[in-house]
Amino acid sequence: MRRRAFVVKWPLERLSARSLGTSNVAKQAADTSDIGNLSTRPPACPAQGQRSRSTHAVASVLESLGPAVKSWDEVPGPKPLPLLGNTWRFIPYIGGYSVEHVDQVCLSLRKQYGKCVKMAGLLGRPDMLFVFDAGEVERVFRGEDAAPHRPSMPSLNYYKHELRKDFFGAEKHCAGVIAVHGDSWAAFRTKVSRVALSTGAAAQYTEQVGEVADAFVNRVREIRNSESETPSDFLNEVHKWSLESLGLIALDTRLGCFESREGSESQRLIDAVNTFFLCVGELELRAPWWRIYPTTMFKKYVAALDTILSVTLSHVERALQECRDNDSKSLLQDLVAAAGPRVAAVTALDMFLVGIDTTSNAVASTLYQLSQRPDVQDKLYKEISSVLKGRPLRAGDVAQMPYLKACIKEVLRMYPVVIGNGRQLTKDTIICGYNIPKGTQVIFQHYVMANSEEYFSKASEFRPERWLQRSTYKHHAFASLPFGFGKRMCLGRRFAELEMQIVICKMVNSFKMEYHHEPLEYHVHPMYTPNGPIRIKLIDR
Amino acid sequence: MFYKNILISFFKSRSSYLRTYNGVITTFGNYRSVLPLSTTRLALKDEKVKVTFNLYDGRKIEAEGKVGDTLLDVVVNNDLDIDGYGACEGTVTCSTCHVVFKQEDFDRLAEEAGDEERDMLDLAYGLTDTSRLGCQVTLTKELDGLEVKVPESVNDARS
Repeated sequence: MRRRAFVVKWPLERLSARSLGTSNVAKQAADTSDIGNLSTRPPACPAQGQRSRSTHAVASVLESLGPAVKSWDEVPGPKPLPLLGNTWRFIPYIGGYSVEHVDQVCLSLRKQYGKCVKMAGLLGRPDMLFVFDAGEVERVFRGEDAAPHRPSMPSLNYYKHELRKDFFGAEKHCAGVIAVHGDSWAAFRTKVSRVALSTGAAAQYTEQVGEVADAFVNRVREIRNSESETPSDFLNEVHKWSLESLGLIALDTRLGCFESREGSESQRLIDAVNTFFLCVGELELRAPWWRIYPTTMFKKYVAALDTILSVTLSHVERALQECRDNDSKSLLQDLVAAAGPRVAAVTALDMFLVGIDTTSNAVASTLYQLSQRPDVQDKLYKEISSVLKGRPLRAGDVAQMPYLKACIKEVLRMYPVVIGNGRQLTKDTIICGYNIPKGTQVIFQHYVMANSEEYFSKASEFRPERWLQRSTYKHHAFASLPFGFGKRMCLGRRFAELEMQIVICKMVNSFKMEYHHEPLEYHVHPMYTPNGPIRIKLIDR
Repeated sequence: MFYKNILISFFKSRSSYLRTYNGVITTFGNYRSVLPLSTTRLALKDEKVKVTFNLYDGRKIEAEGKVGDTLLDVVVNNDLDIDGYGACEGTVTCSTCHVVFKQEDFDRLAEEAGDEERDMLDLAYGLTDTSRLGCQVTLTKELDGLEVKVPESVNDARS
């Protein structure tokens, strides 16, 4: 799922030139017997994790190392200034503001400081540790306790636990999964994940999601311009598709996003979700004035959340009614049956908060990548045709399209919509040979790891085959984890995958896609997406 | 109204479970046996299948399951002492129920691993060519006397 809170602003161009961190680097160099240029040879980790070795073994090795475990102070990283900390670097113009290119920042941090980098002195935030070592990521993930803590959106936290605590706190353990932690999170998650993550949960939606994808294909066919290209607000259309699909899954309803009218309930929901997207970035990334007084932005944000909540609740009410009347199966009814109406409503709310722009950006990014690769499209088209043979898509069909899945995985490897994943340590943990104190936010830099030659052979090349012939291509399973791992793995994963597979399948089956403009750079917005209008030429097949 | 809904849905959930998992609604059954962690279907005719788990620490655990049970069901229903086994309750989001088959048994399995399972196996410790997730392997009569290896440390993020 999404990580918004750690999207930090960081000076890009100046970073490599700054000499602020040199003292730490020097110390680090002295500590390791390696005397080499650190920018080319990052310090080796004493406890480098290895696949197929148990955590216990690593832990005992570490204990026996004893004095070799270095303290938190010794972790390399850009040095904070007195009083100002590192926050000054985020100030626009002065610090070299670049929230949009945090991906490049992370790359250069990796180059300059090595496999784990400390970002200390962030005013109003816990210290952060960036980890670029897949073995260590694996170790931390596997060592997690029953309720891992995930740094999350403070504004949503405030909404759920302060502003609307009457609703979210009315029933025990019923606040949802986003911005919730500990026992309350674990109790809720257990109730929902058996319904939402079981292997058959998504497949039953194949035909309905397929209908939405068909509507999307028809819609883009209509809105093509005279050059047969998608309009510059194409991403917005993909958002509509995503919202429509999610409405189907979370609320059993066709919201009618493609033909929505002013004032209708679905239009209110669309507007609210859009407002939420716009506001959450502003509230989380800029100075948090809303903590002191309710700013206009914050009021809009709360109103949007209220709308989403009330619309969601009314649909859950209806689903309850239908649940009594007939025995049809759907996620919503399963949830109501398994855990009660309130859990179902809150789950739907959380799905709306984090399930729309993640999926739609992944789809837009995949379509853009495919449009530049006719050979991949041909291969895909062949695969799809051989499975479908002209008939409509049925449940289980996508399971026979390994290349389609591999293409999506490959796009998410090279351009993960969420460039990293995070945990707030619930206990002191040794990472890369340093003792990292409890409460530190550890950010796993999947974008950097998944694009490094160290973990993927021919990392800079788009090769979906690597996911099919695993023996030919080297790969570390923990370097690219677009849906995260373990207890807090994306709860909507099965649905997101199904939605993406189906819509890509239908698009490739209907059009030959071409791209005839300047290549787009990717930026963090706050999803990692192509920066600029995605104008894909769609030629009917 | 709200509490009424809760009551209804609560009652509803029980009855629908009974219908789904039991086929015949028993009025005297112990609910705990109907709503267990496992996904077992209560078979009316029990055909027993014997399974042996060879643990990484040298222990050998023998247990019996029914045709249609998964290996995870066997562990849960018999309350076998395998630390951290099957943490995600069969939702295929962890790899703690990882087991290694002998080649000939692996070839005999009724179903191949699905995509979800393969994705998770990829993240398992000590993956082998004959690895499977226990929650996705269903017992058949032919598998009677099956021996599987539980690899070193089934520790996972869910442990």
